[in-house]
Amino acid sequence: MSEDDNFSKGMDTLLSHRDVFFIALAFSIVAIFYLLPSPDGLTHNGQVMIGILFMAAILWITEPIPLAVTGLMIMIAQPMLGVIPAVDVFSSFGNQAVFFLIGAFIISGAIEKHGLHRRMAFKFLSHFEKNPRIFTLGIMFSCALLSFVMPEHGVAALFLPIIVSILIAMKLVPRQSNFGKISMLCVAYGCSIGSLGTLIGGARNPLTIGVLSDIGITVTFFDWMKYSMPVVFIALPLVWLVLQFSFPIEIKDVTMAKKEIDNQLAIAGKMGRSEVLVLVILVFTVLLWIFFSSFPYLGLAVIAILGGILLFLTGCISWKDVEKRVPWGIILLYGGAITLGMGMQSTGAGEWIAHLLFNTIGVSPHLVILGLIVFTILLTNAMSNIGAVAILLPIGIAISTEIPGISPLFASMTIALSGGLAFMLVIATPGNAITYSSGYFSTRDLFKAGSVSNIICILVIFTVAVVYWKGILGL
Amino acid sequence: MFENILIPVSSEFYSKKILERSVFLAERFKSTINLVYIIEEKTLHQTDKISDSFRTHYNRLETSNDIIKKSRLRVDNIILNDAKFFLKNKEIPFKEKIVEGEFSNVVKRELDENNYDLVLMGFEKGCILNYRLLDEVNAPIWIESEGEGRSILAVCSNLAPNQKVPEFSVKLSKDLGWDLHMLYVIDMGDSVEVDETGQRSDRKSEKDLIFIGENFVEKMGEKGVNVRLVKGSLEKETVKAAEDIGANLVIVGREQKKKNIFGLPVKNVKKKMAEKCRYSILFVN
Repeated sequence: MSEDDNFSKGMDTLLSHRDVFFIALAFSIVAIFYLLPSPDGLTHNGQVMIGILFMAAILWITEPIPLAVTGLMIMIAQPMLGVIPAVDVFSSFGNQAVFFLIGAFIISGAIEKHGLHRRMAFKFLSHFEKNPRIFTLGIMFSCALLSFVMPEHGVAALFLPIIVSILIAMKLVPRQSNFGKISMLCVAYGCSIGSLGTLIGGARNPLTIGVLSDIGITVTFFDWMKYSMPVVFIALPLVWLVLQFSFPIEIKDVTMAKKEIDNQLAIAGKMGRSEVLVLVILVFTVLLWIFFSSFPYLGLAVIAILGGILLFLTGCISWKDVEKRVPWGIILLYGGAITLGMGMQSTGAGEWIAHLLFNTIGVSPHLVILGLIVFTILLTNAMSNIGAVAILLPIGIAISTEIPGISPLFASMTIALSGGLAFMLVIATPGNAITYSSGYFSTRDLFKAGSVSNIICILVIFTVAVVYWKGILGL
Repeated sequence: MFENILIPVSSEFYSKKILERSVFLAERFKSTINLVYIIEEKTLHQTDKISDSFRTHYNRLETSNDIIKKSRLRVDNIILNDAKFFLKNKEIPFKEKIVEGEFSNVVKRELDENNYDLVLMGFEKGCILNYRLLDEVNAPIWIESEGEGRSILAVCSNLAPNQKVPEFSVKLSKDLGWDLHMLYVIDMGDSVEVDETGQRSDRKSEKDLIFIGENFVEKMGEKGVNVRLVKGSLEKETVKAAEDIGANLVIVGREQKKKNIFGLPVKNVKKKMAEKCRYSILFVN
């Protein structure tokens, strides 16, 4: 059996009855919303948009078709049902966040191609070899730091073989070793928490700035870091502590891990010319993003594309590599997500839902913030995190315009950061599924550690939002 | 009794206790040990499906290959190393292979294609195990647990044909030199009698079931085997008796799925036992 056959085995099958049921359910809901009379305060277009929102939610949660195809369906549903003209829907692809994503994926592809991420991972880990506890902390921080400069799923996929090799060298048996459990969970959670830190870590971050730019709010690379980093650096050690208490480590020394890391670093040898070039371009691009992405300077997308082009000009990457490593599906998913937000706002559907929520939970700003965080975290555990953020952003922004003390930026950051914390289920995020495939932890272990970690993170985001964003930054 | 032992090890669960037990049995019965390591395809596909919009085909293929490579490395460095340790200075034929697939399907395929007379495996709640496997195969399945001891509890009941268990348990206890305790449970939760062919009778009265149970006890007594007759839930009485006598191994037969008062099948008895019992269980179909 060829590798390709092996890969596609079981995947290229017709839709199952379950899949057909959920597709039919999603379409039926849109049809019902289209045909029913509109309630007071909601336009017909707004009602259809809410139907499309439900359709997207059902398809993103149950995944009978790829997430990106649902993105495409959202785009065509709006002009087909007469909600928004096609020209407006597709113009959202002109948003610079799309090109930022493309540039960032090209840079990330070059990092992967030359194994720079692998070297960085081993270098980071080599500073945490004191004892097993510190080593797991090292895994978590290394994953988080790498997720600042490349997508979180790529980091999880990078760390999977690295950590499994180390665990095998230590002769630790899957499911029976708490050190093994914590190590793999540190990869999953480290990547998720780290992905909040910069705009590169997760596609939901550029989506958020894209939606915000549509309503005239600009968030630079540095602004994002300013808002998100306290959450990252408070959540990381707290979640690490949760893991330590949940699964007490049974081993006392990490000599074998140290040997394996030294061995891998020796195999990697000295940095090659291309690797050095990629590192230089990466550092250059990140510095430009931090210092020159704001108006009237270059902007996020220009810098990202500049970084990508420099990689081509120096021969560090070819178009073949781009084809191999740039996930175009996510761009389509992004397109669907951003048009969903645009449609919800322009038809007044978001505002209508916000009114409905006020009547239910009142207008206490603190209660609303907590509600947004909890609901986003629950939703992101049940569906793709970009989908959860796409669904909740327009509602959150509408809510913020109604409640004094909550700005659209504040609500969006709350949703975007909460949307990255899918800790409880294997299906919640690719990072969880990738690390689960190592066999070192069970679904029960993930749920046990994930539910407590999620509660801790709810408190962290709430505290940072109220004390730091609002109290200090005046967001 | 067991010439060919199959040890299926899932990439989701491995315990060296299984290898230790297989070597113990292979020494007693001069058996060949056949280890099959199963890389659970469900985990591979799950990873692919969840990642499909976020990672490219190439990236996913890399991860999939990484998982397979590391699984092979784990077999070489941990499982075969353990096997080498247990087999040291013992002339026991040992074969191993690695396959990708779904645990229960691979076990069934192996049993169809080869003449195995015992399946020895580990178990952990939450592992991918299709419990139909326990009903659908003819070879005995030994689920090894961490328990220590040298006694066997053989369980018969009105829910099982009670054909193989008595004979099998007596022979095994003799061959292993372990004490045998036999239990007959009258399970009024599903008051039927299962005959020798596995067919369920109509509902019977308690008196009738006690009569059937006493007949069984008498018949076994003639063969020199003492049987304790108890009334209660099959799985609860089994776990209780196993704890009372400190059984190392519980032998259970082809009992039917229990049905509730509306005639609908309830959770598989075998599944309940495997999850509740802290001792090794041998399912004899």
